Amino acid sequence: MIETLKNTIDYLSTPTISFTLITVLFPFVFPPTDWFDKINRKLRIDKLWTNTGGLIQFILITGFFVLGYQDPNFKIILMKGDNFPIVLMVYSMAFFTWYAMKKSYINDARLDEGKKPMEYHDPEDKVLVWPDLVYIEFICLILFMVFLIVWSILVPAPLEEPANPAATPNPSKAPWYFLGLQEMLVYFDPWLAGVIFPTLIIVGMCAIPYIDINKKGDGYYSFRERRVGYFIFMYGWVVLWVYLIIIGTFFRGPNWNFFGPFEYWDPHKLEVLNNVNLSEYFWVIGLGQPLPSNILLRESVGFLVTGIYLFVLPVLLAKTVLKKMYEAYGPTRYTFLMILGLTMLSLPIKMYLRWFFNLKYIIGIPEWFFNI
Amino acid sequence: MAHKNDERYWNIKKLNKWFAISSILFLLSYVWIFYHDNDDEFKRYQREFRKLEIEVSNKKLESALSNVQDQRVEYEEKYNLELDKYNSKMVEVDSLKSNLEYVKGLFYKANMDYLFKKAEADELKYLYEDEIVHSEHYHNNHEDESTSKEDKDKYHHDDKFEYKEKYYETLEVMKDLKVTKEKYELQVLEIESTIKNMGLELKNKKDELNEYLKEVNLINNKILKLDRTKMTFMNQLGDLVRDLPILDFMDPYYKVNQVVAHDIKYDVNFAQVPSVDRCTSCHLGISNPDYKDAPQPFTSHPNLDLFVSSSSPHPFEQYGCTSCHSGRGRGTGFVSSVHMPGSPEQKKEWEEKYDWKKMHHWLQPMLPTKYTQAGCFKCHEADPILAGGEKLALGLMLIDQSGCNNCHHIESYQAMGKSGPPLTHLDEKLDKDWVKKWIKNPQSFRYNTWMPHFFDQSNNSDEESVKRSNATIYAITEYLYPDGDKENFDNSNEFIGDAENGQKLFNAVGCQGCHVIETESTQLGDLDVPYEMYISNHGYEPDTSGVGYEKMDRYTLLKYQGPNLIGMGSKSDAKWIYNWIKHPEKYWPDTKMPNLRLTHEEAKDITAYLLTFENEEFEDEIAVTEDREELNNIARRWMMKSFPKVEVDARLSSMTDDAIDEYVAKKSINYYGCYTCHDMDGYENGKPIGAELTYEGSVPVSKLDFGHIHDIDHTTHAWFEQKLANPRIFDKHKIVAHEDKSRMPNFYFKPEEIEAIVTAILGFTNVKIADSKITYNLVDDKSVFEGYKLINQYNCQGCHVIENFGGHMVDVIGKIENAPPNLNTQGAKTQPDWLFNFFKNPVTIRPHLQVRMPAFKFSDGQWNSIIKAFQHLDERNLLIEDSFAVDINSAKFKAGAKLHEFGACNNCHFYGDQFPKQTPETWAPNLAMTKERLRHDWVVRWLDNPQAIMPGTKMPAPYIPDSITLSLDNALETWGKDLMSLDGNRQAMLEGLTDYIYSIEGPKDISTLVKEYFKINGYEFDTDEEEDDFEDEDW
Repeated sequence: MIETLKNTIDYLSTPTISFTLITVLFPFVFPPTDWFDKINRKLRIDKLWTNTGGLIQFILITGFFVLGYQDPNFKIILMKGDNFPIVLMVYSMAFFTWYAMKKSYINDARLDEGKKPMEYHDPEDKVLVWPDLVYIEFICLILFMVFLIVWSILVPAPLEEPANPAATPNPSKAPWYFLGLQEMLVYFDPWLAGVIFPTLIIVGMCAIPYIDINKKGDGYYSFRERRVGYFIFMYGWVVLWVYLIIIGTFFRGPNWNFFGPFEYWDPHKLEVLNNVNLSEYFWVIGLGQPLPSNILLRESVGFLVTGIYLFVLPVLLAKTVLKKMYEAYGPTRYTFLMILGLTMLSLPIKMYLRWFFNLKYIIGIPEWFFNI
Repeated sequence: MAHKNDERYWNIKKLNKWFAISSILFLLSYVWIFYHDNDDEFKRYQREFRKLEIEVSNKKLESALSNVQDQRVEYEEKYNLELDKYNSKMVEVDSLKSNLEYVKGLFYKANMDYLFKKAEADELKYLYEDEIVHSEHYHNNHEDESTSKEDKDKYHHDDKFEYKEKYYETLEVMKDLKVTKEKYELQVLEIESTIKNMGLELKNKKDELNEYLKEVNLINNKILKLDRTKMTFMNQLGDLVRDLPILDFMDPYYKVNQVVAHDIKYDVNFAQVPSVDRCTSCHLGISNPDYKDAPQPFTSHPNLDLFVSSSSPHPFEQYGCTSCHSGRGRGTGFVSSVHMPGSPEQKKEWEEKYDWKKMHHWLQPMLPTKYTQAGCFKCHEADPILAGGEKLALGLMLIDQSGCNNCHHIESYQAMGKSGPPLTHLDEKLDKDWVKKWIKNPQSFRYNTWMPHFFDQSNNSDEESVKRSNATIYAITEYLYPDGDKENFDNSNEFIGDAENGQKLFNAVGCQGCHVIETESTQLGDLDVPYEMYISNHGYEPDTSGVGYEKMDRYTLLKYQGPNLIGMGSKSDAKWIYNWIKHPEKYWPDTKMPNLRLTHEEAKDITAYLLTFENEEFEDEIAVTEDREELNNIARRWMMKSFPKVEVDARLSSMTDDAIDEYVAKKSINYYGCYTCHDMDGYENGKPIGAELTYEGSVPVSKLDFGHIHDIDHTTHAWFEQKLANPRIFDKHKIVAHEDKSRMPNFYFKPEEIEAIVTAILGFTNVKIADSKITYNLVDDKSVFEGYKLINQYNCQGCHVIENFGGHMVDVIGKIENAPPNLNTQGAKTQPDWLFNFFKNPVTIRPHLQVRMPAFKFSDGQWNSIIKAFQHLDERNLLIEDSFAVDINSAKFKAGAKLHEFGACNNCHFYGDQFPKQTPETWAPNLAMTKERLRHDWVVRWLDNPQAIMPGTKMPAPYIPDSITLSLDNALETWGKDLMSLDGNRQAMLEGLTDYIYSIEGPKDISTLVKEYFKINGYEFDTDEEEDDFEDEDW
């Protein structure tokens, strides 16, 4: 019974399945449109954000870790000092998401009834910076120090010997907070996954206040009033960042091969990695001829596809589906939004292209170190 | 007016409570962190050791007290008596003391007055000098017409100096004060010495008592520092405080002990840092022999004469611990110092006891105890003769003898030559069928051959592989016979003599220094090893008798230098064997087999004897035959690895069967590396085929392919063990093409051999040691090491004892005096130029010996290096020495002649061509040879005590009269005036005797004479078992 459960979890954790599952389920959990919202409520997913729902989430997560602890393979990963923060992260992520959503749903219900949001009354419940807030913060500080001290005593720092180029660990893993980036490296050229994307993430987050012109939800929790923004952000944050960290921590073993959480990390494991560039798909497989020697001609398809994705698609959208939005946002803001949004979207797109078509690069010019 | 700041919206009391709770938690966490920080593992051991130290010290105190028990009272009584005397004079002493106080006071005052006055005088002196300088200055530079008369007067007349008079006056006063001061000073000294003298006797007695009780007091003081219960209250307090957190930065009792070994570097990849060893933080008794039986980690080092102690060659301060043992010297805990278990049982025990786990990130884990000797190699790589490193030496010898370093290049331990015989003219020696059967399964012919097994192994025993193996063996054999099979088996009487006499000769002349004839194979017994062995089908059957087997060690290995000579009758013909034993170098120019200078008859007899051993089972085996299909198949498969199919087809179709066979043979020879151990035509420049092992001891465990073998520990030594026990095992469960399979052959090593070889491999490290610590650099003449290597390689110790090791021939011959001579002190014994000539052309030295020194085919340089090695062992390095000049007119010489007269040396010794008086069994070297053969000072030493140099020698020590004998009435009559003039000086008498021996003249080489004698009279004496009384002392 337990074995079947473990095997099922192992099977479901495969990135293709788990990522798809999460991506498909995501709009039902954080419904960006009325249609999703209807189903969300029909399936009573919104009950996730009640106290009972929170308890269930807590029990599920804890249950998973307890089950995992019983498993000799997962135990090794779970008990590593390095991975302790990830366990904390899973809990804190779930808690804060649940907490914010709970408050939002209460407010949404109140707004439906024509009442003011809960926070409307906050000014009456004010706190003085001195002495109350400072005092509270000071107490929190002390408690947090206690936590850090106890943590450092109970879980010794995972220090290792001086780095040795002759003996690299397998798998070689980045620190936990960078594991999402390392996971991206599987799908993208290093200058994209390691330079462009992190830069855009930071720039994008700085830009949110300038791009977001939705005045609703200021100063109080609300989901319904800003559900599209909420959905996009949560997808980027939870799925494209946190989930990739979890994959990197628990599911990546020797040779960066994928392993289910309860699977033995067999260093001999081999997987087929016959990756093909778009140019090879087009010229060799599609047209049955050798690759053109002219680099630009060879990659012309890739340039075309990328050009359409980045430059034609936004214009088309502005004229059709997102016409209203374009009008509301204006050309500059719209352009920025599109650049950021399409870049973010390119990650799951590329992941799927890799999984299903073994697509290596859309534009692949290793001669110029230019690969997309 | 109420202040606005009093405004509160939160419950301050509740916040205060929270603050209190969090502060208490914070405090507790801080206490915890202090506790955690100071609760080091090593401190627990140190506390435990302190208890042990107290216990041991108390025991020592007890024994020390019992040692002094007898006379202690006596000393104490003497002291007390003196004390009483002293006390009776107490009144006098007291009054003297109070007087002393008074005079001291006077002295103090007088001294003060004097010093103050002296300070005044110094100042005046300065002022006066200043005046002198200024007056000169003015006189020289400023005096002209304008100078007033007054000034001129002032500076031109000394009496005008203002301070002159004052200065001299003060000096006078000072002198008086000094005299007063000195007067009191003398008084003080006088009174002091009076007091001292009164107590002198008491002090002497006290010193005597203390001297007598020195050991007791030392131990007592130690205990006072150790045992808190015996301390004063203040000391107890101090002892407690010194180890308190933070305060313990000053002088803690419990602390990390460390030694920094500057000459031993640890490689942190981008820098070399001196090793820092903190092992003694827990191993507290390591350098103290008192803790021999203490439990770990307090046990003393088992070999303090050689290691750790400051008087040993490897003092702890210079070498630390990890230089030999490896491990993480900076670790202060059991796990963090990377202790490594030697067996699965130990591992389990440690896991339970110490929560042990391997620190994966430390690349030099500690050597398990059984492999500790591996640590010696990094400095001693050039010393093959290493006392205390027997296991390492055995491993190295096995590596050489098995030819490991033929296939695996080891920079620091290179092969001296090919370990197998040449295969270039095999048709003189063997026929094809024999060779085929031999290659397939060497042990079926000789169960303990050095030739390893390539076939019938765990990864090539399936039907398909066997088929392939057989075809390969066929092809290789055919390749080895370019001129066809051996045709003539010449077993004519020309080469066959008397087998019975052959057996006698075989046992007597020295064959058994390197060879055995052991027909019964070894039984291994139930082996308890953590790895999987691939047991041979022929040797080493499981032991049912429970006796076990003869374990291999360095000594046993000596007799297996050459092959076990069983089955010779089933191997070759008489002609070949005869020629081989007569002139081995003719068939194999590089052979280690020496020439024993056998006569035609002797060689014939031995040949006959060897031919009596036959192996019918082997003869009945059927040799592999030609398998055309498989040969083509093998050739095709090899070709497919390098060429496209079209080309392979074309090539194969154009090849004759012979060409295909040759192709298969060459591919297989390259694949198995046959040429690395054997000389083969066409492979003169062949490279070793195995992985280089120069730094194999430092290989990270992740670089070793464990394949699908999970039953062994994940350590380098476990991998090596398993690889040696079954070289093909890592192919298990793998799908591998024939051409890519593991091919290391199986030597069927026994567990103790595996252990020794793994020790050696673990010694091949890349650890950097300073040049000053490497033994090679400590000897000026590097050829010494070549000499050592030759002595080792050519198995000199098979016959001779060298450095108290070897000479297993005596086990065969029986009597130590009939065995080849003991070569201890050889370097100090013989004249180097004589030794050189002897090596080049051995002559008879010990006429009674049947065993003979063989002639080795060494170059002059090699012989010289052997001589140097001998000299190095005895710390001599003179190449050529003057022959000793004897003054036959000196009293010493004449005394020597007299002693010689009494000695009756000619009972046993030859004097040139003059035969000894006694029968051959007591015959001893020709004394006429002494002068050119031996070194004078060695002969003196030898005559002094022959047994000390050569235990078991039949040479009795000559009688040297002692002074009592020489003072007897008739001494002068008996011993003569010359001897009497030496005044019973033993050394001089021995020198005189030696001088006399040096004067004995006659032919030096008596080989022919001796041979003639035995030809006529036979060697029969050595079969007479009963006679054993030639060692008569009453000669």
